[in-house]
Amino acid sequence: MASGKSGGAVGNVKSVPSWLNSPAWSTPRHKGRLFPESPENGIKDKESKLQKKGSDVDKLEEVVEPPSVVVKQEVEGRGSVKTGNVESSAPLRSDSGNTSIFSSGSGGLSSDLYKKSSSLDARVELFMLELSRKRIHIAELQRMSGQGIPDVGSIRSTTWKLLLGYLPRNREDWSAELKKKRSEYAVFREELLVNPSELTRRKEAYEEAMNESGGRGFLPRHHITQDDHPLSLGSTSIWHQYFQDSELTEQIERDVKRTHPDIQFFCGDSEEAHQNQEALRRALFIFAKLNPGIRYVQGMNEVLAPLYFVFKTDPDESYAFHAEADAFFCFVELLSDFRDHFCQQLDNSAVGIRSTISQLNALLKRHDEELWRHLEVTSKVNPQFYAFRWITLLLTQEFNFPDSLRLWDSLLSNPDGPLEILLRVCCAMLLCVRERLLAGDFTTNLKLLQNYPSTDIHHLLRVAEDLRV
Amino acid sequence: MVLVLAMGDMHIPHRAADLPAKFKSMLVPGKIQHILSPGNLCIKEVHDYLKSLCADVHVARGEYDDDPRYPETKLLTIGAFKLGICHGHQVVPWGDLDSLTMLQRQLDVDILITGHTHQFKAYKHEGGVIINPGSATGAYSSITYDVNPSFVLMDIDGLRVVVYVYELVDGEVKVDKIDFKKPHQRT
Repeated sequence: MASGKSGGAVGNVKSVPSWLNSPAWSTPRHKGRLFPESPENGIKDKESKLQKKGSDVDKLEEVVEPPSVVVKQEVEGRGSVKTGNVESSAPLRSDSGNTSIFSSGSGGLSSDLYKKSSSLDARVELFMLELSRKRIHIAELQRMSGQGIPDVGSIRSTTWKLLLGYLPRNREDWSAELKKKRSEYAVFREELLVNPSELTRRKEAYEEAMNESGGRGFLPRHHITQDDHPLSLGSTSIWHQYFQDSELTEQIERDVKRTHPDIQFFCGDSEEAHQNQEALRRALFIFAKLNPGIRYVQGMNEVLAPLYFVFKTDPDESYAFHAEADAFFCFVELLSDFRDHFCQQLDNSAVGIRSTISQLNALLKRHDEELWRHLEVTSKVNPQFYAFRWITLLLTQEFNFPDSLRLWDSLLSNPDGPLEILLRVCCAMLLCVRERLLAGDFTTNLKLLQNYPSTDIHHLLRVAEDLRV
Repeated sequence: MVLVLAMGDMHIPHRAADLPAKFKSMLVPGKIQHILSPGNLCIKEVHDYLKSLCADVHVARGEYDDDPRYPETKLLTIGAFKLGICHGHQVVPWGDLDSLTMLQRQLDVDILITGHTHQFKAYKHEGGVIINPGSATGAYSSITYDVNPSFVLMDIDGLRVVVYVYELVDGEVKVDKIDFKKPHQRT
């Protein structure tokens, strides 16, 4: 679809001018039309932005006066605009544009490729703009993230940190806050992860006389308190604590090794993969020690994994280095909404997992009585069989990894909290396979819901959006 | 952080019926990685008990042991340390530190675990350290008066060893600690 050029045709005929790909044309009214009369919104002319790097498109642009790429009305008063990696060049010619499309998970190639690619660049630019403000406008960020965060640069990593409240809203507070939090984490590591031998080694004043290599003689015996030896059974003994924790460490170890076995980042043979696993293990162990009420429950590793992945793959070196600490605190934040799902005693209470599942059930009944009746009554599929995993693991196990990252964009950016949108997405999942469910019996329905078929995540999110009251 | 238990000279059933109850309550499986015994257990049931505490049991032959298959000396490496076990009745005079030192040099080990005297000793010399865990049951010995039940637990951590000595004195378990570090290798 390289037609649609006005002005002088220069040597390379296949190029598409950037102004044509401006999102001004890609508003819903103009879908499918190549030549809309005029963009509805005022076009902000950003001459400074038009720095094409010597491509043929330049010539075209001299001839025609192209509007700038970013057209959203809300964007105004750009102070420091990052022009960085955002290049509004023809998408078909720029490989980065193409690959970014696929990595941001937008379905297959379709006729609105232009719209997607140009809107990707536009979105990247919007995000960069928003993130570069002095005071971040959270509501705006939430709205933008709900459409999906582009998988470019540090955008997702920084946005998630902002959405979870880890980074404060004022940009200038960022470095102070990060330093504080990271040193807190280092303290946790020191205190909680060290084994008793280390502790005893540090505690005592180590007598140098003992180490003289020429000496002969009986080694002096030091009396120690009742609890300070490895076989002590006293509850105050650090050794006893250590051996009791060994059960916890074993459990965490087992789960960490099973996290995302298909992804090299977690389960490869490389040094990095081992380090990543170690980082996950440490963070989960520290969480378990700091929260004795809920300790470690199988599944927490799945909730931590996407956070750690996004932060660790941040191209910004300093952020990637501290990914473990950042992921830990964001994990705590995220889990604060969902803690009660992991606590067994609260299962039957008003905040427990059963109550949430019944909320989902009620939602389904409200939107699709027929399907609800079929599942509840006819095929007798107890929602606990499928919804338990969906809800406690925040849908990380139901979709492939890139899709679940996209899903988490919406989850984390919901102004009414992640649980509300989680329920709507679960309901949307049921609605999307409606025909198959209605046609099936207990066995087939259960199999279908426990191995949810792969689906277009954007479609799913649209359906979920429609369910919003 | 490797925990190594050294206990020997139980002389069960000939001179003692069983380990003291207080010792038995402390010794639970799952904490200890290796067990080294200088010998004189004497019967298979004691060996099975040690196996229940830890899978890796090494025993050297004492003169009253029933099982003839235990070796006279045993060598092993744990972490950065070389350890050797020998019962000690072969080394005459019994309990003589200089002679044991010669044995240690022969075996070329950093730590020599030995027994027979039923008396706890921890002796350091240029070649290394000799540890005698004593008798775990406090069995009678013809060369020592007033035998107290004792055993030794070593915590090997890198180049440093912390030795915890458990002794039953007047019915109470007393725990002492001894530190030493592996000397740098001299040419």
